[in-house]
Amino acid sequence: MSVSRQHNVNVSGSGSKALIFAHGFGCDQNMWRFVAPAFADCYRIVLFDHMGAGGSDLSAYSPEKYSSLDGYADDVIELCREPEIQGGTFVGHSVSAMIGVLAAKKARDLFDTLVLVGPSPRYIDDDDYVGGFSEGQIHELLEFLDSNHMGWSRAMAPVIMGNPDRPELGEELTNSFCRTDPEIAKRFARTTFLSDNRADLAGVRARSLILQCSEDVIAPPCVGEYVHRAIPGSEFVLLRATGHCPNLSAPEETITAIKAFLSHAA
Amino acid sequence: MVWTGYRRDQLVGRRFQDLLNIAGKIYYETHFAPLLRMQGFFNEVALDLVSASGSPLPMLVNAVERRDGDGRVRFTRVTVFNASDRRRYERELLEARRAAEKANAELHELNLTLEARIEEAVQDRMKAEEALRQAQKMEAVGQLTGGIAHDFNNLLAGITGSLELLRTRVAQGRIGELERYIIAAQGASKRAATLTHRLLAFSRRQALHPRPTDINRLVAGMEDLIRRTMGPNVVVEVVAAGGLWTTLVDTNQFENALLNLCINARDAMPNGGKLTIETGNRWLDERAAQDRDLPAGQYASLCVSDTGSGMPPEVIERAFDPFFTTKPIGQGTGLGLSTIYGFVRQSSGQVRIYSELGQGTTMCLYLPRHLGAAEAAEVTEIARRTEAPRAEQGETVLVVDDEPTVRMLVTEVLEELGYTAIEAAAGPAALKVLQSNARIHLLVTDVGLPGGMNGRQLAEAGRAVRPGLKVLFITGYAENAVINHGHLEPGMHMLTKPFAMDTLASRIRGLIRG
Repeated sequence: MSVSRQHNVNVSGSGSKALIFAHGFGCDQNMWRFVAPAFADCYRIVLFDHMGAGGSDLSAYSPEKYSSLDGYADDVIELCREPEIQGGTFVGHSVSAMIGVLAAKKARDLFDTLVLVGPSPRYIDDDDYVGGFSEGQIHELLEFLDSNHMGWSRAMAPVIMGNPDRPELGEELTNSFCRTDPEIAKRFARTTFLSDNRADLAGVRARSLILQCSEDVIAPPCVGEYVHRAIPGSEFVLLRATGHCPNLSAPEETITAIKAFLSHAA
Repeated sequence: MVWTGYRRDQLVGRRFQDLLNIAGKIYYETHFAPLLRMQGFFNEVALDLVSASGSPLPMLVNAVERRDGDGRVRFTRVTVFNASDRRRYERELLEARRAAEKANAELHELNLTLEARIEEAVQDRMKAEEALRQAQKMEAVGQLTGGIAHDFNNLLAGITGSLELLRTRVAQGRIGELERYIIAAQGASKRAATLTHRLLAFSRRQALHPRPTDINRLVAGMEDLIRRTMGPNVVVEVVAAGGLWTTLVDTNQFENALLNLCINARDAMPNGGKLTIETGNRWLDERAAQDRDLPAGQYASLCVSDTGSGMPPEVIERAFDPFFTTKPIGQGTGLGLSTIYGFVRQSSGQVRIYSELGQGTTMCLYLPRHLGAAEAAEVTEIARRTEAPRAEQGETVLVVDDEPTVRMLVTEVLEELGYTAIEAAAGPAALKVLQSNARIHLLVTDVGLPGGMNGRQLAEAGRAVRPGLKVLFITGYAENAVINHGHLEPGMHMLTKPFAMDTLASRIRGLIRG
């Protein structure tokens, strides 16, 4: 199976430059459904699902490969090679912000621009570093995931898949919106919330934009500021939007901020 | 909201997700908030709220977004249900499912090993059946021993008693009175030999001496004896077929069988009746042969019919079983028919019973046709009674038997007759002699021998170095399997123990001369 099939890659739009949107932990490429279309007339849009999410090929999942974010970064590089992307813009949300940083480091020709939405290089506090979570809290999360697979995996699956009250949405809901394999999601949580990519930030050569929400329990503003300080020459925009998903809760503000950054560069 | 433990003023101004535990907060932000935004609602999401006291409160959460005409969110309504009980059920359900999956896995494992288990069970069953058969056999041996040992001890008493008296008289110098003790001992010995013969025939290990036989002639020879045995109340009629085919049978055994059938017939007619002995030629086609469990072909038959009480089917079914008898205790051994059956089957024939209650019974023996003329049976009888012939000069016989007494007796008899005897107690020692340059005119060997080489193997090894070596097997019983199921190669002969010394001498003489 080709890598684009494995990752349910969708290419649309027209333009000489490519814009790659990467979703974070907890959803799939639908995360960009309110944002990506705004760039379709000027860019070649590339959407994809990480392994284990959405329409990806679950059979290609390997616990070893995906036990670190490098495995996900390698996927990004591979799936960008097929449409021969060079000097593109990578827009990564949440954990995908760090995946993009890693991919850009590994394959410098791929991306000359990075847009990091709600990035966090490390979720657990460490000495002076504030990640937003104590080590105990992250372990509480992981234990909870292990013990409560009926609660959430069921909650994610049936709500998304069966929708008897609104049959007109059935097909769309069944095939979209954050489908995740519960077991893979648990592993993805472990990989994500135990990651530490602070040391990778200094080596970023691409032009970078950090989009930070005002109130974000997953990646608090101080973390976004840390990333901004660590990446040389990066820009920082604090959105009015709250929560962790401005691409869903405030798509217009997100689009505007990205467009401003990209046009500024041009 | 009393069950949450929070007061109203503690909740005002706080968002729903602020009350979640840490895992709930993370999942809400990463999973359920996106879901709510994309589909406008979510239902029955299991989340844990942290109560005012810090303890977890399992909840089910429904949420719905309301938007205005421009698509802006007007409000989000979140409904929480106390799900403490439900969560407990769910945990129990999960536990039950885990147990079921475990049981299922075990069942799967069981299925995988089922074939092996069945095979094991079948093996066990077969072992048990084998043990049962052995037990039944031992029971039969027990019954046999009980019935026979008494007779045999009587006969042994007669022999040992005679020998003791013989010794006493010799010591007393009363030599003139020896003859009667010798006759008594010989008589008892012969009866003992007959007894063991019958036992061996029963166990189907008796060596048969089948020879081309005219059954009509045997019947005619027996007719007078049969008439006398039947008594005055039974009319005997013999219907002998003309041109009856020759069969290959052991004549002694055949006579025994005929007599046995007639005695059974008589016992079935306590108030008298008619006994018919009828011979005939039978051509059995495939179907008729199959009915009788025989190969198709030509057979001579002997049928003995009575007008007696007849047998019910359940008796017919068991009639050939050893020790099965309908006669009162002490009047029948139950060995008669089973002995006949053994003999006939060993002669490649068959026995069939036709019987009707109150009408009578017909017992038919089928014996395969032998192409060739019948032998005159009397010849051997005459030969047996002639004087034991003397040996020619330098004739040497190799005698092999592990029983020293037998070896001594045979050797002594041979030397008395003028033969040179060389003795060996086991196969390997005997083979050394055969492989040497010694002149050997005849090998006389026991069949069952110690030392890893039986009599047949010794004979074959002997023939490897001395082609055409004449062999006489002497054996307590014919180990059919050992001696090629009773079929001996040319130049090989058999003599069954016990044998009269003059019989041994004549056989040896005949073999060396032949």
